[in-house]
Order: sequence, then structure tokens, then C-alpha cells
Amino acid sequence: MPERSRVKYLFVLPGIIWVLCFTIFPLLYSLRLAFFQARLGKSETFIWLENFRRALFEDYRFWNSMGVTVFFVVCSVVCTVSLGLALALLFNRPLRGQRLFRALFTTPLFTAPIALGYLGLTIFHEQVGAVNTVLFALGVEHPPAWFSSIWPARIAIVLVDIWQWTPFCFLVLLAGLQSLPDEIYEAAWLDTSSSWDIFRHITLPLLTPVLFTVSILRMVEAFKMLDIPFSMTSGGPGAATQTYSFYIYLTGLRNFNAGYASALAYILLFVMLLISLSFFNRLRQLYE
Amino acid sequence: MYQGKSTLIGKIALWVVVLIAVSWAVFPFYWAIVTSFKQPGVIMTTPSLIPWLQFTPTLANWNDEFTQRWPEISRALTNSLIVSTGATLVAITLGTMAGYGLARFRFRRWKNKDMTMWFLSQRFLPPMATAIPFFLVMKFLNLLDTQLALILVNATFTMPFAVLTLRDVFKELPKEMEESAWVDGASHFQAFFRIALPLAAPAIAAAAVICFAFSWNEFLFALILTYRNAQPITVVIAGVEHTQGVQFWFVATRLLIAILPPALLALTAQRYIVRGLTFGAVKG
Repeated sequence: MPERSRVKYLFVLPGIIWVLCFTIFPLLYSLRLAFFQARLGKSETFIWLENFRRALFEDYRFWNSMGVTVFFVVCSVVCTVSLGLALALLFNRPLRGQRLFRALFTTPLFTAPIALGYLGLTIFHEQVGAVNTVLFALGVEHPPAWFSSIWPARIAIVLVDIWQWTPFCFLVLLAGLQSLPDEIYEAAWLDTSSSWDIFRHITLPLLTPVLFTVSILRMVEAFKMLDIPFSMTSGGPGAATQTYSFYIYLTGLRNFNAGYASALAYILLFVMLLISLSFFNRLRQLYE
Repeated sequence: MYQGKSTLIGKIALWVVVLIAVSWAVFPFYWAIVTSFKQPGVIMTTPSLIPWLQFTPTLANWNDEFTQRWPEISRALTNSLIVSTGATLVAITLGTMAGYGLARFRFRRWKNKDMTMWFLSQRFLPPMATAIPFFLVMKFLNLLDTQLALILVNATFTMPFAVLTLRDVFKELPKEMEESAWVDGASHFQAFFRIALPLAAPAIAAAAVICFAFSWNEFLFALILTYRNAQPITVVIAGVEHTQGVQFWFVATRLLIAILPPALLALTAQRYIVRGLTFGAVKG
């Protein structure tokens, strides 16, 4: 292979430069904003770390939205990964129509979350929504008014998110299961006849890297959650379902408090960085 | 692999669980479709799930959508189509080249894996972190409420998928053919266009489908950067509840129109979805 050729740079540089222009530049810009008292279109004053101090020590809405987000992230990751794993184990066998099922499970992934939120609005509607229709039919006299109290609203959102993302975990974990070598299983079945033993001592350890990947990716996506609360509850009742991204949006683009919103965005960026570092290390080895 | 003794009870239990899983997966779609055929008056008074048995289906909502409200919807769909296609073209063009470059050449000053990580890290960036500067920049460039602004944004956010999926695909192609082409005097570009590109075409198409679907579904930037003429379908459906509370019938028809194109298109990319969505960490 002609190593010295400069042509190779022509292949990678356009992409790298593009991303550089469109993400690093905005990021530097908002880093600068984060140290300013800045309102969109008005004057700016340099205020050092005041924005960060205010967020961390004075702003209860910051902590509220952070708490809401962490709750969503934990519920969503735990439920989607475990449901996905259960389904993957179930489907990891010769099953008629498996391709069809896999196709069915792909569609939620590509459903616009914003649309899903509105659909959720009708599904969880207090009087004529699908969920309460079923609950009425089952004889529940007072099914929850999903959107007017705190926990039902949160649960409704989590359920929609789980619906959307379980298929992702399922597909990835199924792919992981199917890539495990058959020989190990053949040998293992000679030693034991308990599927639970096989799962615990062979499948689970071998699947750990995939489980790890799925969990991290889910965590990162869940931390960005905005569309579903935006359309389903508008963050309400009160601020009970106001996720962190939602709060940044309101601060920066509804109240035009650009400086403070940038500081909030940088805090989120920092959290995401902490989460993804371990994942990055694993991928760096993979990309060798 | 699974190795089971299948008893009748086991089989039935299995199929019951499969059935539950499938109904869980399709129920929201079923609900949207059923609702779209309900009469507006009926929807808010009587809860119902089964057409013909519980209510008489009507085409009125769809009729409205395609006549009275069609100008608005068709404009939004056109915007979505233009934005997603434009973004996909940019992301795939640059992504294919970068993916090929990373798979075939060895870079020394800045190592291959570092560059790959560079692309990957974009996906981990919370979009909210760049939203405000993007808004300011687009305002400065006078690009607010244009399709071009959304094309630029979506191309940026979907490119990592393209780069990482295609890098993986090119790595798996045998490089002997390209090497012999180089020996025969073909340039890098000729080898790329004549040999590697046709071989990778199905994967490139699949990556394009994924990029298209993600651009189509994007909401945050569409909301921030457009307010009238360039509004894509995701923003237009966000207007459904404004006037008189939630109008179910309205929501249902519109959502189906918005949801179906990417969801159906994605079915064609089946084989590459796992690989694409995990950035090559898990092979599908």
C-alpha cells in the first residue's frame, strides 16, 4: 500500500473539518457564553463562574430537572435492558416468523419521539385513552388521571420511552447472543441440564460486553430526553416531568437567558463525559 | 445456541409470551390507526378499541387531512423530504469517504482510532449543548427558517453513523482487488469509485436510510431554527394541541403521516441497524 500518498487525507479531511466547524465552533461559543450574563440580542457582562455557582447552589429548578432526568434514566435503562434481554433470550432459538418479529421490533426505533409523545397523550387520556379504557374494562373504578398528578405523569413518560427503546436493546442483545460460539454451549450441555446454570455461568459472562455497550448507549440517549416530555406533558404537572434538556431549552430559548443556559449545557456535557469515558476506552481498543 | 426439550406446555407458554410481546410492540400503531377512523364526536364521549364492534369507522378524518389541511401538511412533508434528503446526501458523501479512508489507510500523525473516536464523540454530545450557539450563528448568517440550516445541522448529527458503519463495512471487504488495481496504475480515487464503492453499495444504502430516518425525526433543532416556511413535519405536528385541547382524530392522522415514512424505510436497512446504532461495537 502506498503509504506516503497524500491522497489519503482527501478522504478523511472533509468529514473531520465539517464536524469541526459545526460542533467545536458552537461549543467554544457557548463555553464563552457560559461565563457571561448574556441575554439573546442584548448586552453581555463577564461574570466569571457566577452562572455555575447559581445553578449548583441556588437554583432549585436545576436540581429538580436533574432529579427528574436521573429518575427517567435509571428507570428507562433498567427496564429496557432487562426487558430487551428477556426478549432476546426468548427469541434466540429457531422460531417460525423470527424475521417478521425482528422487523416489527425495528419500527418503534424509527418512530419520531415527538409524534410518539402526542400519541401517548391520547393513549393515556383520562377518560377515553386506551390505557384507561382497558382499566375500566378490567373493573378499575378510578384509574389514574395520568397527566394531572406527579407520579402517574412520570410513569406514563417512562412507559412510552420503554416502548420505544426496548426494541433497540432487544435487537442488539439478540445479535450479541447469536454471535456467541455454539461449541461452548454444546460442551456445557454435556455437563449440566439446567438452562439457568448455562445462563448464569456462560451466557451472562460472555454477554457482559454487549450488555455494557447497550446500557451506556441507552444512558446517553436517555440523558438527552426532551421530545417525549415536551409533547406529552410539557414538563408538567408543575415541573414534575421537566427533564434537564427541557430546562435548558426553556432557559435559553424561551426566556432567552443564553449565558445561564450555556452554563447548564456545559454541566450536562460534563456529566455525559463522565458516563461515556469508560465506553470510549472500550471502543478505542475496538477501533485499533 | 438454545437446546431445548420442547413440551407442549412449553411451546404454548412460549407462543403466549411472543404474542404479548408482539401486541405490546404494535399496539400504539393499532391505536393510532383505529383512532384515525373514529368520528370526532364519538372519540371524546365513548372509549372504544375495536372498529365495527364498538364504533362505525369513517374516512372523514383522512378526507379532511388530504383536502382541507393538505396545503399545510404537504408543505411540511416537502420540507422534511428536502431536509432529510439533503442532510443524508452530505452525511453519506463525507461519511463514505471518511469511512473508506479510515478503513484502508494508516494515518500516523493523528492515529486512525483517534479520528474514529472523534467522529464517535459527536454522538455523545447532547444536542442541547450546541442548540443556542447554532441559533445565534444561523441568525447571524440569515439562515433562520431555511431548509439549508436544517440540512447543515442534520448532516452534522447523522454523519457519525455513516462514518462508523461504513468504516466497518469497508474493513470487511477484501482489499486485494483494490491493491491490484493500484498496481495496474489506478489512482486511489479510481479504485475507490470503481471497486470499493459498488461492493459497499448495499451497506451505503442502508446507512443512508438510517441517516434519513434520523433527520426526518429530528425535532429540537427544527423547532429552534424554523418558524414558518421551513417547518418540517415534526414541528407541524407539535401544533396539533394548540387550539382546542387535544384533537384526537387530528393527532392520529397526522402522526401516522409523520411516522410512517421513516419507519417503513427503516425496514429495508434491517441488516445494518444493530451495527449502525452501536457504532460497530456489536455486529448485527
